[in-house]
Amino acid sequence: MASMEFTEWIRARSDEQLRALVSARPELITPVPAHLEGLAARAGSPSAIGRALDRLDRFTLAVVETLAVQDGPAPRETLADLVARALAAGEPEPALGAALDRLRDLALVYGPDDALDLAPGVRKALDDPAGLGPPVAEVFRHHPPEQLDEMADDIAPGTTGTGKERLAAALAEPAKLLEEVSGEARAALDQLAWGPATGRVPNARREVRVGSARSPIEQLLARGLLAATGEESVTLPREVGLHLRGGRVHRDLLAAPPALEGTAREQELADRTAAGQAFAFVRVVEELCERWSFEPPGVLRTGGLGVRDMKRVTTELDVPEWAAALAVEVAHAAGLVAQGGGVDGEWLPTTGYDLWRVRSTADRWVTLALTWLHMDRVPGLVGERDERDRPLNALHPDLRRTAAPVVRTAALGVLASAPGLAPSRASVLDRMAWEQPRRRGPLREQLVEFALREAEQVGVTGLGVLSGHGRALMMGAGIGPGPAEGAGTATGSRAGKASGAKGTKGAAAKAAAAGDPAAVLAPLLPEPVDHVLLQADLTAVAPGPLTSELNRWMTLAADVESKGGATVYRFSDASVRRALDAGQGADELLAALEHHSATPMPQALSYLVADVARRHGRIRVGSASAYVRCDDPALLDQIIADRRSASLRLRRLAPTVIASRTSRAALIDSLRAMGYAPVAESLDGDVIVSRLDGRRSEGPAQTRSVPASNGLDAEVAAAAVRALRAGDAAHLTRREPVAAPGGTIPRGPATSTITALQDAIKQGERVWIGYLDSQGNATSRILEPARMEGGYLTAYDETRAAVHRFALHRITGVAGLS
Amino acid sequence: MSVNDGPLIVQSDKTLLLEVDHDKADECRKAIAPFAELERAPEHVHTYRVTPLALWNARAAGHDAEQVVDALISHSRYPVPHALLVDVAETMARYGRLRLEKDPVHGLILTSSDRAVLEEVLRSKKIQPMLGERLGADSVVVHPSDRGNVKQALLKLGWPAEDLAGYVDGEHHPIDLAQDGWNLRPYQQEAADAFWHGGSGVVVLPCGAGKTIVGAAAMAHARATTLILVTNTVSAHQWKQELIKRTSLTEDEIGEYSGSKKEIRPVTIATYQVMTTRRKGVYSHLELFDARDWGLIVYDEVHLLPAPIFRMTADLQARRRIGLTATLVREDGREGDVFSLIGPKRYDAPWKEMENQGWIAPADCVEVRVTLTDEERLAYAMAESEERYRFCATTPSKTRVTEALVHRHLGDQVLVIGQYIDQLDELGEHLNAPVIKGETRIKERERLYQAFRDKEIQVLVVSKVANFSIDLPEAAVAIQVSGTFGSRQEEAQRLGRVLRPKADGGGARFYTVVSRDTVDQEFAAHRQRFLAEQGYAYQIIDADDVLGGV
Repeated sequence: MASMEFTEWIRARSDEQLRALVSARPELITPVPAHLEGLAARAGSPSAIGRALDRLDRFTLAVVETLAVQDGPAPRETLADLVARALAAGEPEPALGAALDRLRDLALVYGPDDALDLAPGVRKALDDPAGLGPPVAEVFRHHPPEQLDEMADDIAPGTTGTGKERLAAALAEPAKLLEEVSGEARAALDQLAWGPATGRVPNARREVRVGSARSPIEQLLARGLLAATGEESVTLPREVGLHLRGGRVHRDLLAAPPALEGTAREQELADRTAAGQAFAFVRVVEELCERWSFEPPGVLRTGGLGVRDMKRVTTELDVPEWAAALAVEVAHAAGLVAQGGGVDGEWLPTTGYDLWRVRSTADRWVTLALTWLHMDRVPGLVGERDERDRPLNALHPDLRRTAAPVVRTAALGVLASAPGLAPSRASVLDRMAWEQPRRRGPLREQLVEFALREAEQVGVTGLGVLSGHGRALMMGAGIGPGPAEGAGTATGSRAGKASGAKGTKGAAAKAAAAGDPAAVLAPLLPEPVDHVLLQADLTAVAPGPLTSELNRWMTLAADVESKGGATVYRFSDASVRRALDAGQGADELLAALEHHSATPMPQALSYLVADVARRHGRIRVGSASAYVRCDDPALLDQIIADRRSASLRLRRLAPTVIASRTSRAALIDSLRAMGYAPVAESLDGDVIVSRLDGRRSEGPAQTRSVPASNGLDAEVAAAAVRALRAGDAAHLTRREPVAAPGGTIPRGPATSTITALQDAIKQGERVWIGYLDSQGNATSRILEPARMEGGYLTAYDETRAAVHRFALHRITGVAGLS
Repeated sequence: MSVNDGPLIVQSDKTLLLEVDHDKADECRKAIAPFAELERAPEHVHTYRVTPLALWNARAAGHDAEQVVDALISHSRYPVPHALLVDVAETMARYGRLRLEKDPVHGLILTSSDRAVLEEVLRSKKIQPMLGERLGADSVVVHPSDRGNVKQALLKLGWPAEDLAGYVDGEHHPIDLAQDGWNLRPYQQEAADAFWHGGSGVVVLPCGAGKTIVGAAAMAHARATTLILVTNTVSAHQWKQELIKRTSLTEDEIGEYSGSKKEIRPVTIATYQVMTTRRKGVYSHLELFDARDWGLIVYDEVHLLPAPIFRMTADLQARRRIGLTATLVREDGREGDVFSLIGPKRYDAPWKEMENQGWIAPADCVEVRVTLTDEERLAYAMAESEERYRFCATTPSKTRVTEALVHRHLGDQVLVIGQYIDQLDELGEHLNAPVIKGETRIKERERLYQAFRDKEIQVLVVSKVANFSIDLPEAAVAIQVSGTFGSRQEEAQRLGRVLRPKADGGGARFYTVVSRDTVDQEFAAHRQRFLAEQGYAYQIIDADDVLGGV
């Protein structure tokens, strides 16, 4: 039985090989099977095989397909021959060995070189390998036996066996049959030869005999060269297809990924452009959050951001709608904005935004870019319609696509493999189709398109070329090519040569190699400046981002007129008044401006400040709820001096006026009580102005990001393999429980217990523990600890001969076994 | 070095900031001038704006997107946002996808190098009625009378058409420049040549830079009958005199077509006013456009071109057109119509540069702040809102200060410019100076202008009738007492009155008298901003300094 052999093969793999297997196919150990038999069974399940096959590139998949069309195990030479014949003209001899090693690592192929076979289940998972139809035995399964007999009589008279067997034997060598049919029939077959193997024909199930066949299709059906597989569909049996292909399984096979085509760009220019865009993107997100601090848009009942609010964001940020949606989605995924406030809910910046805001631009960019890379949301879908023809809103739950981060990573990986090149979209798609041939479809192409467009907008790429900081970002995230391919260092050295400046470039290359994108990006960003240029038209130009202190001054005293690499501020009556309102004196303001100005103070500006200051505060406004008026100041003196008036909180505004904070009625009553005879006066009004405060959401951002499929943590893999081995050993030997040694285990503190167990896991040693079972009985066990997580230890218990989970808090002590 | 040391900073709102004190500023200015409009030119940092019209102007002048992107990237101090570069390239690519061409069989046709664009514009309801039969996939017949309308409509759709349909030569008429004792300045020559090579278009030159002469040079290129459209009668007379002086044309060859005279001659000068006069709802002088086979039409002060003239111009697309103006900024925002109907910008030179070269007089702008008396303040506070400006613009305090200023410049040629007639009359009386206003007869105006030029009169009080096209080269001082609510365009015109080069080479002085703490000051702030943006030194002084100095 194949599955037995496969299990044995698995069992024979070294620990290292098993670790490689579970690292490459982490789904096999979630959860960890009890033993290797379980692992082998899981490795053969259709879904697990599907996922493993999805990860194969075009060439490796072709090797699998070639094996799949063999009847059983095949020697390596056969395989090499078939593959070599399938190669496109001029292709170099492929590294078949590497592909086979990979397939063995993935446990998709097993067996020795002279009898390579596919793991159980793989054949079944490939329903039409290389576009070939099912074999004769399969394709004629639903034909009535009488019909098969008739067909066999027609094409293979004189043979014995069941109709199906005779038919299969005859079709295995179809050359003679093919000669019998007309040229048209042959042409029809040729159309199906290279797949898909199924065609449409009206009334496919008609009954025809070789003698009575008229049309080309009937000739083919009568001879079994085509099999009816439905009312209107016919299929080319695999044997016939292979014959038509001249024994080859594939044609025009590429052994190596297709070369990328596109425009070559200077890497340094690309880096600069990307950095410019990175700076712009950070600013756009910041501006979005700032605007939402004061005017938060509402949350739709279905979740998400309304179409009108999206339009507003687009106009305010002055970017295309898709770019605005990107900024909104990334801000949300990065936890900078979240749902909060109000009964109906509003989209508000979070406290996380406040923390993000004060960090350096490069750091802020890294946060955003990583979020973008990993998020499973697809902002590009905003504005499109779902299957029920409703428009998709930004921040709506429906924007999730699990494939999105994978595609993004893959697309950037393609760019990473070609430093200094801006590959065309078609070329990227071609390459990705080669790398993951089983993952394609309209959504995927769309996602690739989005990924490339967004990468440019976020500033990961510049002019279509992966930037230095983009490369470092990918390496920092543990994806991407790594320095092994030499791409990162090559870029650095090339740019270094181009500019002739070694110091900074060298540092940048080092940072790139270390996967520190912020360090690569920072030198490309505008440096903060500590001065502005004041001009007579009442503008001030900050020729770069301002230092925070100056920035505070400028935003207080002037309005921002234009943003970008520089900021243009405009002073106006209102802005100067705002500064004065905030407690700045006119002289102080002028002195600060003069101090920070690289140019002399223009007269117009000093006049403006003086003009506003002259009028500022000349009129004072306060609030009082009642007043006392009297033409005789002496009488008011008397009231103020009266001790009983203290509770009325009176304030003398002028010799003849006292203001009070108590109500008019209370004031009158009190004055009367004090012996005066006041009368009430008619109404007046007052105005209370208060500044709005920026608001924040209470809840944490609800975001989700899917880690890239960059394999398992090495330790997890190692632990899993250890657990499997332990479980398997138990499973195989059915060991009798061993008796626990007598005596009691020294009780130890919890921390030392944990340390001891961790050590044991690392060393793969057995330990002796004291354990309180669920009834509270003190027991003593001998364990092979496998892994420890969530307060539990998973271990093979030799005293019970089974894998168990132990609550750590019930382990009373640990001792080594010598 | 990771960040360039360029003089240019590209902002995300498509403005370009040019640091003028930078070593490479001049080189950079030359590189960006073709595709960016100078918006503000204060002392340290100049602001240019990249608008679709500016990009299309550049495209029409033969620049391509690659050049523009290159100019931006190579001069920019910081990385240029990619989105902006893409936008520039896309916008520029829109110009010329559609072309108006002459077809030997079908006459005027609209052809496209991009079928999708043609399909898009064909679906537009506005354009459909102007088009005729479809000729194959890429072209369609255009009714010749709709040549202008089609261009206007296409610009609105964002697909400006390149007009390659050519021009009629018009009736030949010999015109030569008579360069006796004077020479065409280099920039005038360049402007005229640029226009001629472009076919039709607008020449932007500051006031006082000799736009009339550029017009004359253009006529000498065309050597054909010419129709000149000017703002008013006085300006018409000046054109006539200038043409007689500068060209081979004689008085008999130049006709005036105005309210009082209706002469049609090989060169005819008509006013906007007479062209837009309607009788019973019909423009009664439209036949002038067909009266002769004009080979060239000159539009003076294009930025003031009234809407009806635009409509008439739409029918004149087969004739060469030159627009002359000091600014492309129109207060009504119809810059797009100028682009599509008169033509793209063909020449532009910044004021400051011309001033440095001595072609126009440097100007010193001074704002004199007058503190109102307490009574005046009270009266101002009580004035109806629509009367407020008038009140604060015409206060007696202002009159006093104005008189003091005139006294200060005794011996100079002084112009006093104002908006309100009674104020001007009063000033005229106090200063013992003649007043020119709307009701002053043309003859009388010209006599006074001449007397002023001849220095028989030293002080002249003028209303807004003198805003445009009056050549008063000897005015060294202009005092502005009231204006049209801070109009930028008016400011440019008034400043232009004193910018003509002086015989003694001295500078000009431009006073604005402003009432402190009133709407007058608010309007003055607009003017001040405009002047500072134009790069003029702007100084504020107190009226007391003026009064004290006397």
